[in-house]
Amino acid sequence: MNQRRPQGRNVVTQSLAQIGGCGLFLLTLLAAIPRSFRYLRETIRQLWFVGAMSLTIIMVCGLFVGMVLMLQLYHVLSIFGGTSASGMVVALSVYRELGPVVTALLFAGRAGTSITAEIGLMRATDQIDAMEMMAVDPIAYVATPRFLAGVIAMPLLCCVFCAMAIFGGHLVGVTWLGIDNGTFWSNMTAVVDVHTDIVNGVLFKSLAFGAVVTLIAVYQGFTTPPTSEGVAYATTRTVVASSIAILALDFVLTAFLM
Amino acid sequence: MSQPRSSYAIGTGLFIVLGFAALAYLATQTSSVANVHQGASYIIDTHFANIGQLKERAPVKIAGVRVGQVRSITLEPGQEVADVKLAIEKSYDRIPLDSVATIYTSGLLGDQYVGIQYGSSKKVVAPGGTLALTKPAQQLEEMLGKFFGAGGVADNLGGTYAVTANFTNIGALTVGAPVKMAGVPIGSVQSVVADPVKLDAKVTLAIDKRYNQIPDDSAAAIFTSGLIGTQYVAIQPGGSPTALKNGDEMILTQSAMQLEDLIGKFLVNGSPSDKKDAGNGKPSASPAGKQ
Repeated sequence: MNQRRPQGRNVVTQSLAQIGGCGLFLLTLLAAIPRSFRYLRETIRQLWFVGAMSLTIIMVCGLFVGMVLMLQLYHVLSIFGGTSASGMVVALSVYRELGPVVTALLFAGRAGTSITAEIGLMRATDQIDAMEMMAVDPIAYVATPRFLAGVIAMPLLCCVFCAMAIFGGHLVGVTWLGIDNGTFWSNMTAVVDVHTDIVNGVLFKSLAFGAVVTLIAVYQGFTTPPTSEGVAYATTRTVVASSIAILALDFVLTAFLM
Repeated sequence: MSQPRSSYAIGTGLFIVLGFAALAYLATQTSSVANVHQGASYIIDTHFANIGQLKERAPVKIAGVRVGQVRSITLEPGQEVADVKLAIEKSYDRIPLDSVATIYTSGLLGDQYVGIQYGSSKKVVAPGGTLALTKPAQQLEEMLGKFFGAGGVADNLGGTYAVTANFTNIGALTVGAPVKMAGVPIGSVQSVVADPVKLDAKVTLAIDKRYNQIPDDSAAAIFTSGLIGTQYVAIQPGGSPTALKNGDEMILTQSAMQLEDLIGKFLVNGSPSDKKDAGNGKPSASPAGKQ
């Protein structure tokens, strides 16, 4: 189970090797899920770390995203006398795109980096090798609990983000700008569809993003060159690769789901 | 060692509860659960001559209150009739048999829905029964046509004679569109076909026999009623002493103005390169910036 950074001669083969290595690593992770059930405590600890500890940043950011969205929409829609539709537009844009994407980007920055750095340091200080010596499967004990925790935590975080964004939009729109409270909610409930917007938009997208972000983070951690410089690079790569993967996957998912 | 673990567990539990609470909030407070929730319902069959843009799962309303949704839309085999099955909630089971089902549009541009107006019959529609009285969707084009005095011209004609005219572009002109002279309908468009040799549109106009004094050098032009109205053929009389006869061709024609062309001209100040730019996908305002 010794994971080493895949090698390639130039940038293209290097990136291909990275993608291929990542895909193979995903299979290893999925195969290790049954074995990781005996480390349920570890999974819960990781869920606490990547999920519960990310709540503050997610809630604050969700609040401000909803507030600024409402502010912008209000000023544009007031030109056409359509300010009553702004609550609905906030809800739709947050559910379908902004909620999952921004949550995933924040999640990559908040949880992905620390996963990579933690596993990278484990690798650099030979803790992974020590686990193998003690007949503890590092994939089942270190990688899979973090992956599962990320996959479970992301949809929940995304729901919290969306709820806070709606709250922020309500705060700015109804409390400050004077949109009618009833209009705000009735317009929103009239267009938001549970299946299209909440299940497909919020839950499914954030589930996929959670899987991608934690897969990249864990993979980068496991394939870190065992030096302090290597850990630094791996952390950076986690953020860069996750962000690109999130936005690209978002387009693909939107194209398929809409 | 067990103390920090249980605090993790509590924190994680709180996080999960909060996440699901947020999900429940999104699903119940900000979306229409009623659109998905389907209680016990029964099916009513209706037949419409035209369903417009009606879609499956569109609401069914009585007095504006949602009572069900459109279950399925199929074409009646062998007929030009749409078979629309409505799923009505069980609690609304006293719909009179002579009620009228109508396809309405929410607002000017909104989605379409089926509205049911109660009749006076004592009998109610049984589950699986049929509402015989329906009104088809009002097509915006027809309404505008009526509004602009264009509808129903061809019906009250005593007899017509056919005249052809070739246009390089007919825009959205359709068969049945009115032919007007001085704004008064005098006939209708009988056929629109592409000429395989001249590579333009050959339009056959059926003109009322009463108007048999139209000079043969008159011009035919395609105009639009208002900004978003239907298109019609306008005949501008010439000065020739001989009149148009059955089978004649009108030489002078003016094609339909395309809104896109007009806007393009407006944006680029009539620059002839606008079409080229539009074809290349560049913003058509760029030549104006260079000038």
